[in-house]
Amino acid sequence: MHIAVVVKQVPDLVEELEVDAAGTGLDRAWVKMKLNEFDDHALEQAVLLKEAGGAQVSVVALDGEGIDQVLYAAVARGADRALKVDAGTQEPLDSRRAATALAGAIRDLGPDLVLTGVQAADDLFGQMAPFLAAELGWPHVSVVSQVEVAGAAVRVQQEYAGGRMATLEVDLPAVIGVQAAPQPPRYVPVSRLRQAMASGALETATAGAGAGTGGAAVTQLAKPEAGRGAEMLTGSPDQVAEKIEALLRERGLLRG
Amino acid sequence: MGNVLVYVENSETGVAPIAFELLGAARRLAAGLGGEVEALVAAGATAELAPALGAADVILRMEHPALSPYLPEAHVAALTEAIRSRDPQVVLVGNTSAGIDVAAGAAAATQRPLVAYCTGLAVDGEAVVAHSQVYGGKLVATTRTEGPGVFTVVAGAFPGAEGQSGGKAAEATLAAPATLGSLHTRFIAATAPSGGIDIGRADRLVSVGRGIGGPENLELAQELAAALGAELGASRPVVDSGWLPKARQVGKSGMTVKPKLYVAVGISGAPEHLEGMREAELILAVNSDANAPIFEVAHFGSTCDLFDLLPALTERLQAS
Amino acid sequence: MTPTAIVLAVLLIATLAWAGYRFQRLLRPLFQAPREDRLDHVGQRLWGVVTNVGGHSRLLKNRYSGTLHLFIFSGFVILLTGIVQAFGQGLVPGFSLAPIGGNTWIALLQDLFDVIVMVGLAMAAYNRYVRKPERFRGSNEKDATIILALIFAVVFDMLLHNAFRVATGTDPSAPWRPVSSGLAALFGLVGIHGRSAELPAAIFYWTHVLAVLAFLAYIPTSKHLHIFVGIPNIFFRNLQPNGVLPAADLSQPSIGVKDVHQLGWKQMLDLYACTECGRCQAVCPAHAAGQPLSPKLLIMDLRDQLLDAEGIGGHRQAADGGSRELLGGRILDQTLWSCTTCRACMQVCPLHIEHVPKIVDMRRQLVEQGRMEPRLQDTLASLTQHGNSFNQSERMRARWTRELGFEVKDARKQAVDVLWFVGDFASYDPRVQPMTRALARILQRAGVDFGILYEAERNTGNDVRRVGEEGLYEMLAQHNLETLGKCSFQRIMTTDPHSLNALAQEYRTLGSTYPVIHYTRLLEELLTSGALKPERPLERVATYHDPCYLGRYNGGFDAPRQVLARLGLRVHEMGRCRENSFCCGAGGGRIWMDDTGVTERPSENRIREAVALGDADYFVVACPKDVVMYTAAVQSLGMEDRIQVKDVIELTEMALSLEPAAVA
Repeated sequence: MHIAVVVKQVPDLVEELEVDAAGTGLDRAWVKMKLNEFDDHALEQAVLLKEAGGAQVSVVALDGEGIDQVLYAAVARGADRALKVDAGTQEPLDSRRAATALAGAIRDLGPDLVLTGVQAADDLFGQMAPFLAAELGWPHVSVVSQVEVAGAAVRVQQEYAGGRMATLEVDLPAVIGVQAAPQPPRYVPVSRLRQAMASGALETATAGAGAGTGGAAVTQLAKPEAGRGAEMLTGSPDQVAEKIEALLRERGLLRG
Repeated sequence: MGNVLVYVENSETGVAPIAFELLGAARRLAAGLGGEVEALVAAGATAELAPALGAADVILRMEHPALSPYLPEAHVAALTEAIRSRDPQVVLVGNTSAGIDVAAGAAAATQRPLVAYCTGLAVDGEAVVAHSQVYGGKLVATTRTEGPGVFTVVAGAFPGAEGQSGGKAAEATLAAPATLGSLHTRFIAATAPSGGIDIGRADRLVSVGRGIGGPENLELAQELAAALGAELGASRPVVDSGWLPKARQVGKSGMTVKPKLYVAVGISGAPEHLEGMREAELILAVNSDANAPIFEVAHFGSTCDLFDLLPALTERLQAS
Repeated sequence: MTPTAIVLAVLLIATLAWAGYRFQRLLRPLFQAPREDRLDHVGQRLWGVVTNVGGHSRLLKNRYSGTLHLFIFSGFVILLTGIVQAFGQGLVPGFSLAPIGGNTWIALLQDLFDVIVMVGLAMAAYNRYVRKPERFRGSNEKDATIILALIFAVVFDMLLHNAFRVATGTDPSAPWRPVSSGLAALFGLVGIHGRSAELPAAIFYWTHVLAVLAFLAYIPTSKHLHIFVGIPNIFFRNLQPNGVLPAADLSQPSIGVKDVHQLGWKQMLDLYACTECGRCQAVCPAHAAGQPLSPKLLIMDLRDQLLDAEGIGGHRQAADGGSRELLGGRILDQTLWSCTTCRACMQVCPLHIEHVPKIVDMRRQLVEQGRMEPRLQDTLASLTQHGNSFNQSERMRARWTRELGFEVKDARKQAVDVLWFVGDFASYDPRVQPMTRALARILQRAGVDFGILYEAERNTGNDVRRVGEEGLYEMLAQHNLETLGKCSFQRIMTTDPHSLNALAQEYRTLGSTYPVIHYTRLLEELLTSGALKPERPLERVATYHDPCYLGRYNGGFDAPRQVLARLGLRVHEMGRCRENSFCCGAGGGRIWMDDTGVTERPSENRIREAVALGDADYFVVACPKDVVMYTAAVQSLGMEDRIQVKDVIELTEMALSLEPAAVA
């Protein structure tokens, strides 16, 4: 079993996001990137599969600023190989271009299963997993919270609104968009990270030509217009609690 | 003249609520584009589903055993087939689990652009202008799509009422694509929401987010919930971390709730969460980050440290 | 040789062989253990033995128990002569200590110390069976009883043997044995004297000798090993500064301790030295809070794990014969995570056992395996990502300066006299920020040339290191040292005692030589020099809480008290002050963990202590974490009207009549 985990970095939402002068993109100078949280879960799911039944895990990402660190962290977490795909630019690509750029390298890698995060904070033009599946011509399931190997297929749990879930079986090779691993991503001690950096050379590959999204373009990126917004209750915790109690009393929402 | 095609999500319980919101949005777009609204309903049997779709001008019925229960691969093929044969200018799909599968898959197969996370759609000349929530709701992207395109729409962004009204639509049958006979995906079993709790029916909810820190602090929220006579809910990260069961999750891939009182504790308010609770009658948010998107939808908010405020509030409510 | 001598010789040889074999088994793992270099500064080491063993310096801090131990200990030294005498004369006819005073002053001392030891034993028995202090809970009571009984047998039989010998009328030392003579007179009253005393004298000779042999045979299986191991354990004690943890070799594939055999030889010796006296347990804030940690039980568990692994047994044997894992088995993760690294246990241990380094070494292994609670994991991730524990952007670090009304110098860009290392809590915590601004205003008023590092400052890693995340600590330390290396300043001042410890002590092992002071030291200087003049003396009563990392770790006991005095406050000390201060419960990364299982928060226990003083208006702290911890404690106890938590900064500002600093 060979699992490829496709990861990318997204802007850290802890930071204030600033829009660039053109008003259509992020001011990258101020953006701090971090591993996409859903990709983190995809990686954890892959490592869990490796621990459960033995698998080779390759982590794949497009080249970009800070990506080495992400790949080393994945190796420290349990990935066996790390592949950096050069798309000829350090700028982040939208997921559709990224899928096209990565498909060739992934085909060469020859995994049985591709896991990636179900979505990302910046995938305005669609999600990576279904695009990648389309590029590869493989079946695909998104919003998955559990993956188990079942012979030449995987059994996955897909989640729907209202807490409904279904177990589906997908023949390999396949692409899965992971919502959550069965357990939260584990902590990687810095010492382990340093060992990964010291020992592991990253493999590199060149990307295929990226197709454009064609037709859709961002004309503006802005902070949301202030909605009606909440009325803020201020004061010490005790004072706020008192105000809340009064509010609930007014509306007859106190218990009993 | 451009038509609008709506992908009608459905399950054994009928047409999904998001479909009516899409139909409502589609009507306005079709008016702007001077086209018609077509609704694609793809299922094992569509006879019982079609009558609900009167808001459309044309109902496209596609039937095949592989289309029910839902299989991503089958529905990608179905929507792809419909787009190819009807060539609409706009395709609307809900930004749901199935929507993520289907919209991107069909957009890729038909070489159309996809714009995701839409909360607003308008026609400007020949083009469609969309507003999308990105970066966890911290920014809104405006896009302009000149030619044909696929759009996924966030649940709750459009009222469902417009899509539920309407008269009698014309019906047409679409042949299922041949690929449905040789799928690589199989349905094994469905799981109902577990745990015997149904937070969707609670009229008061106290929901906790990542700000609660860890499972050991849930007690604070549980005590508040008890003092309010409320059920305990949670945001996705809390459920993904295994601190609370899935059945308590509010938002996309969890429950959509409309309680009388919704107390959001340590929830920043990602779009996926907001879409599940913005209809609550009174929303009270506690979050130490004054810029958290939750305060956009909340009626009242506090930036007090929840570890101070919750015990104080619980004590007060118990005393009263 | 007489038959008696043969019997005695056989018994003695058998006992010594058994005890020797036991000791060899016990010591074998030490010789295979990882190296620890403890042979430097021999003079200092010897002097420590003199004060600790001869002077009972730590033992006497608990006056009752220290005194009784001194009685028994000194008696033992003296009575060793009696034992030598007993075996000597049994083995070698004609053996006598008479030439060096065996029949004169030695006899007198023996007689007196016989009594003193028995007084000590009575005190010990009273302590153990009547007073029953909590610190004994979990100790091996049976072992303690056997030891007390054997000591009693040794001395009592010796005394009776001497008394009957005096009664025989043939003992030349009789005039020098007042107690024995008194007893002999009593025996005479019931008709035992002369020849009739010879049999009982012989009987008590043999019971004495057998008791001595039994004691010798029993010791290597008992906690009384400290008779032999105690002195070496004190000699080989850690002479590093208090604030420096032993390093972990990050080039190794795995760091920390998951198996008892990974402990260094001195760490193992510690295990044998423990007498289960429980002084550590009595001062441990985690234990007092009802958490699973007791430093004493931790050491006992490690010892039992070692003995089980070596197949020696003799102590509390594990139910499964010792096949249990150390981590998560014999010692639970939660036990290790309970430690606040406050160092109270190490400060009080009469044998200088090193509890905290062992705990940190085991935590290192837990971190390596990713075994930690979610909140701690999130905090470490935040520290890795942003360099602070608040999961906030670096750029927010100096945001507190915005409301200041004046620019604080950027120490990266201009030379300053004092480089202020602000620290995470003082920078990010909204409850502490008003105090941080107050300190800035005070320094401004005093004309101090100071600057900060703005977003280049990182958490010092002091508590990261104590959590066991050694790699992250090194990363943070290297970043800070690189930044400091590019700045020009005379000295560093910290708000946080934890930062102080890292910068002043831990970073030295990484080559740093910067002078580092706590802000209380600078305030004291400024008040003494007259740069700061209190305009309105506060004239109230304050009690002062010594932060662990300022006091016990860095000896900063006096400066804060001097500041308070200069502000016109009268300091009413709590019982647990200075090196006996009671931890607030936040140290060692505890502030990033939950309170599960805590029955009484250490901070609340402490506030009760302060309120019980009766007259303290202010509970004064000198650590940003303490402001948070104790303000919460006062609130949760509902004691806001009884006592106010104030940082030294706030009081200084009040006395200077600057703007009052409001603390939420």
